[in-house]
Amino acid sequence: MAKYLGARFARCHETGITTRSISTMAEDDDLAQSLETHRKYLQRYAQFHLRDPSLAEDAVQDTLVAALSQRDRFQGRSQLRTWLTGILKHKVIDLMRSRDRALPPDAFSLDQDNNSAEGAFDAGGNWVDPPADWGKPDAALEASQFWRVYQECCQRMSRRDALVYSMREVMGLSSEEICKKIEITTTNLHVILFRARQSLRTCISKNWFGTQHD
Amino acid sequence: MIHRLIYPCEQAAKLSSRAMEQALTMPERVRLRLHLMMCERCTNFSRQIEFLRRASRKIPEVLENDAD
Repeated sequence: MAKYLGARFARCHETGITTRSISTMAEDDDLAQSLETHRKYLQRYAQFHLRDPSLAEDAVQDTLVAALSQRDRFQGRSQLRTWLTGILKHKVIDLMRSRDRALPPDAFSLDQDNNSAEGAFDAGGNWVDPPADWGKPDAALEASQFWRVYQECCQRMSRRDALVYSMREVMGLSSEEICKKIEITTTNLHVILFRARQSLRTCISKNWFGTQHD
Repeated sequence: MIHRLIYPCEQAAKLSSRAMEQALTMPERVRLRLHLMMCERCTNFSRQIEFLRRASRKIPEVLENDAD
C-alpha cells in the first residue's frame, strides 16, 4: 500500500506539483505516513463487516486513496481515524451491495407473512424458547472470548441481515440513512432488525450466557 | 377487555425492537409497558436487545484494541 501511495505521489509530482510549496509536499508525506499507521485498524474494521480479506483490502485501499484526494476536507476537525472510518463505512457498504447484486434477486426477498424470526413464536404468538434472565450482562463486554462468540453469532445471520444490523448498530447509521442507502422501506428495516436481534440474542444466550466460561 | 390490553409476546417483542428505531405512538407505548409489567420473558428480551446495542456500539473500540 505504501508503495501504491508512493506511486500516486510520484504521478502528482510529474503533473505540475512543482508549483506547490515544499511544506505542502512534506504535509502530504506526513499524511501518507499517518494513513499507513491506521491501515491495520481499517483492515480489521473492513474484514469484520465483509468477512473477505481481499475485498476488505480493496475497501481500505479505496479509503486511503479517497482520503488523500480529499485531504483538504480533513482539517483536524475530528480524529484522523474517525474521519477514515467514516469514509471506509461507505466503501464497505458499497462493496457489499455490489457483491450482493450478483446473487439471485429472490435471495433477499422478505416474506412478509412469515417473518416471525424463524419459529421464535408459536401460532398464538407465544415464545417457543422464552428469553431467560442474563443477570448483569455488561461484564461480558470485558471478556475477549465474548467478542468471538458475538462475531460467530453475527455470521449465522444472512449477509443481508448482518449488513443491515451492522449499519444500524455498529456503524451507527440512522434508520433513514439505511433505508435510503440500500433502498428498503421502513417496514422492511424493522422486520430485518427484529429478525437480526432475535437471531443474535438466541445465539449469544446459548453460547455465552447459557454456558460456563472463564 | 383484558385481552385487548394483553397482546401476544410476539407483538410485544416486535414493538420493543421498533421502539429502538422510532418513537412509538402513545397507545403502543402504554400497551407495551403493560405487557412488560406482566411478562418477564419479554422484559428479558427487551433488556437483551438493549444490551446487544451497547455491545455492538463497542465493536470499533474492540477492533482497535485487537492485537495485530
